[in-house]
Amino acid sequence: MLLSLFEWLEASALGVFMKDLPATFAIVEAVHLMGLALLGGTVLAQDLRLLNVILRDVPSNVVTEQGHRWFKVGLWILLLTGVPMLAGVATKCYHNPFYWTKMIALLVGVLFVFTLKQPLLRGDHSLLKPVTLKSMAVASMSVWFLVAASGRWIGFSG
Amino acid sequence: MQTSSGGFNRVNSALLQFAEWLAASSFSIGLHESFYLYNWIETTHVMTLMLSLGMLAVIDLRMLGVAFANVPASTIAERLDRPMLIGFTIMFITGLLLYTAIPVRTTQSIWFRIKVLLLIAAAINAWLFRGYMLAAKKSWDLDAVAPRRARVAAALSLTLWAGVIVTGRFIAYDWFDCGGDNPAFIDWAAGCVSE
Repeated sequence: MLLSLFEWLEASALGVFMKDLPATFAIVEAVHLMGLALLGGTVLAQDLRLLNVILRDVPSNVVTEQGHRWFKVGLWILLLTGVPMLAGVATKCYHNPFYWTKMIALLVGVLFVFTLKQPLLRGDHSLLKPVTLKSMAVASMSVWFLVAASGRWIGFSG
Repeated sequence: MQTSSGGFNRVNSALLQFAEWLAASSFSIGLHESFYLYNWIETTHVMTLMLSLGMLAVIDLRMLGVAFANVPASTIAERLDRPMLIGFTIMFITGLLLYTAIPVRTTQSIWFRIKVLLLIAAAINAWLFRGYMLAAKKSWDLDAVAPRRARVAAALSLTLWAGVIVTGRFIAYDWFDCGGDNPAFIDWAAGCVSE
């Protein structure tokens, strides 16, 4: 069932477009990496602030609010370039364990950020326990690192 | 004309000689042959984008007035300077190791050559901008949007680094490898040495 969806995607106009010229895939990949830099940078800025490592003289509420705005931009860039990349090599990805690792981590990351971390951190940080803030930061960095690293390994295997 | 082209050829021969010497070393062979070592170095190189270019993007977006506009520009630039430089140091070390693993092909890669030029341009831009910002910071630090010159430098920085990412990614592709069916100027710019 799922496999036929992946086969359909690869045979679709988008899949064919992504395969037609090798440069198309490479350019989309490069934009995907720019999205990674933006998403990763805003994750690190927010989470290292919560851990009191950087930007200590800027209120963490401000860093979270501003960082999250650009995190969403990064996430959109990654999704809008990630889907075409998948379309180009869909059946390969279907059989690649790193692809599924990445997708599960991505789902966990998105759910974590939008249903837990952001709703909690929208309130005044000084009313939250430091251990809560710090565990949010560690969980967030871990899950996004897993998403990025397993993504890189899709290309190494197969 | 002839002299400068002859000079360029001599430089290319010397670079190739160095690359061949490096490629024959056991260190280079070890890096190249080890699946996990090579892939982890490359993964580290890519992951560190989040630290180096991630911090750089936040600083540049602040200068453009579209992120952290409610925080003084110099606070963002000064506080994120160190994590960014740690990121660039890791990028530089892992980048050298990646070059060491595949020296001959990389030396003759047109993308690698463009990438190095863009890196030099980005470094000059950053250095000029840093001096300008330090000198002028008192006058516009609290403004949401920086003066025109700072905005131009920030936009230029983002553009140059986008170019570094694109050319860096393209090194992996063999479209213009020496010995292929390339236009003459590509072979010339890539420094393909006919043997």
